[in-house]
Amino acid sequence: MAVKTLDFHARASKAITNESLQKSFSNLKSGFVAARARAVAALPEFEAMREAGAAIKDHTLDNLDFYLERFEAEVTKRGGKVHWAADAEEARLIIREICADVGAKTVVKGKSMVSEEIGLNEALEAEGLEVLETDAGEYIVQLAKEAPSHIVMPTVHKTTEDIADLFQEHHRAYGFSERAHDAAELIAQVRTLMRDKYFAADVGITGANFLIAETGSNIIVTNEGNGDLSCTLARVHIVTAGIEKLVPTLNDASVLLRLLARSALGLETTSYTTLSTGPRRPGDLDGPEQYHVVLVDNGRTKMLAGAFRPMLRCIRCGACMNHCPVYLSVGGHAYGSVYPGPMGSVLTPMIAGHEKAKELPHACTLNGRCQQVCPVKIPLPDLLRRLRHDQWEEGFIKGKARWGISLWSWLAARPALYRILTRLGITVLGIAGRSRGSFTRLPLAGGWTTGRDMPAPQGTTFHAAWAKRKKRA
Amino acid sequence: MLTRIRAALGNRPRSKGTLAALGERMARPPIGPRPQLTDDPVSRLVAKTQANLFSVERIASLQMLVPAVRALLPETAVPDISVAPALKHLGWPSDWSINFGPGRRTENLSVTMAIAGIAETGSVVLRSDPASPTTLNFLPDVHVIVLRTEDVVPYPEDVWARLRSKGGDWPRTVNIVAGPSRTADVGGIIVRPAHGPKSVHLILCES
Repeated sequence: MAVKTLDFHARASKAITNESLQKSFSNLKSGFVAARARAVAALPEFEAMREAGAAIKDHTLDNLDFYLERFEAEVTKRGGKVHWAADAEEARLIIREICADVGAKTVVKGKSMVSEEIGLNEALEAEGLEVLETDAGEYIVQLAKEAPSHIVMPTVHKTTEDIADLFQEHHRAYGFSERAHDAAELIAQVRTLMRDKYFAADVGITGANFLIAETGSNIIVTNEGNGDLSCTLARVHIVTAGIEKLVPTLNDASVLLRLLARSALGLETTSYTTLSTGPRRPGDLDGPEQYHVVLVDNGRTKMLAGAFRPMLRCIRCGACMNHCPVYLSVGGHAYGSVYPGPMGSVLTPMIAGHEKAKELPHACTLNGRCQQVCPVKIPLPDLLRRLRHDQWEEGFIKGKARWGISLWSWLAARPALYRILTRLGITVLGIAGRSRGSFTRLPLAGGWTTGRDMPAPQGTTFHAAWAKRKKRA
Repeated sequence: MLTRIRAALGNRPRSKGTLAALGERMARPPIGPRPQLTDDPVSRLVAKTQANLFSVERIASLQMLVPAVRALLPETAVPDISVAPALKHLGWPSDWSINFGPGRRTENLSVTMAIAGIAETGSVVLRSDPASPTTLNFLPDVHVIVLRTEDVVPYPEDVWARLRSKGGDWPRTVNIVAGPSRTADVGGIIVRPAHGPKSVHLILCES
């Protein structure tokens, strides 16, 4: 995974002053948050489903070895092949070898976050293969040589004009000489050119929303029908999936599918839910000749062992980012990783290492909205706090910050002294700021005051106000 | 990798009881919480598929299918369509151009046979086999799906139970279709179609 998270601060600052980006993400906020809220309100069983969804995932993770063995046996029984990839490099190697074995030239891809995580496109292109994302959004960011800015809506940062420019530049090669003006014309171009690619494709790569141990199937959900065409028309179907995508049975998947569409898009279901199981059968008129599943670990067993196991429940719906004030302010690219927002701030350090993602666990106000909307009840704020703790223990927090936090913790452990000093501080600041009502600069608080004014304290400390209130009651 | 996973889980060997419980769970999969449905499955399916932008038509028997399909086609041209081999026996006019093979690159209209309808979500389920190529579900501009009312079930779990009880081999592909192909990847505006059918026409057959 090409992780660029070391510059989170710089990218976030730039994003905040980018007007078009701000507009796109505020649309996301109004659209998706409202749609999800309506879908949840219409379903009295939603809370019970969240409980059940979390329990199914926990049960699977507790018995992951058992269910993975069953999954492999079912895939093998039906003529498919399961490959085990310990890390990104191994996964890329396995897929490159499958492509080489079948003499592949063209690869079409359905949307797969894990393929982005392992940097698959670059690896295949380096071998001289033509690799095409077929999901309209993923195709657009591929043309623009960008990363998706949202795991469900990859192009949320792009305007129709941006996309029209991009297509005008790249689609002349396909015979589109006129500039397309609206969404319908732009999508019609994608539809036309992609048809030929599906038929020409040697290999179709899709992700998996779920893997089913019971039958050895993978399930993808799409609205476009692109993943479905990719895995039906290509000669070879390769599924890339993290090991945590597994569930025991189709009944378990049904619970999670109800949660997924509502949490992601505010819908009861997507247009297409497709189960693929093995290669084409004797007598079938279509379908791939080979079926491969590449199971990717890449840091996941490490999470399974420790405090971060609940993160492996994630079904990649994107609700946590849609409800995150930090994500909605800075956008997906600021995170510098395939996985943005709250889920990304936990996953990226686990996959890429703490040292590469130092700033991410701090890009959070701990307001807890992500946990409230998570369909599988992942305690994201707790996990982010835990990451901050681990960073402290491992000595990643240095200099002024470490000194300041140490001082504060020393002081907070001495309540009497803490009260005296805060009362004194508030009185001094209150008097100093009385005339203007706020401060434009404060010693040691440059990080705060460069972006906004600090209001001058009015009245008394929280402790004093609380004591007074209790007395009155 | 399994060795590492077992180590991550604490290397605890499973007792006979645990293994039996896991086997039992797999053999008789529990059903999770799901929306309560009050109306009868067929009326709910009709209402929900229409809400999902299917057009819905009811016919008394499969003998009515050919005229129903004719009515969907422009009167001026000789029909050029694809029909799933499962429906080949229905007496299609010999002067039509009909493909009984897999889907073609350009495909005006296809007629396929569903194995079930799901009332909960207003979805239709298609499976692959030699008489039902999957490509006919995604390549045409207009996808016509035939569904017997007796195959309408309340929930997806009922579809899995039917497929399990049929024995034989699990199908290569099961497609659950809940509307036309669409995308909102350009400016958040919904466009139909994206890569699949522009419209889906459901023909509910009473017998």
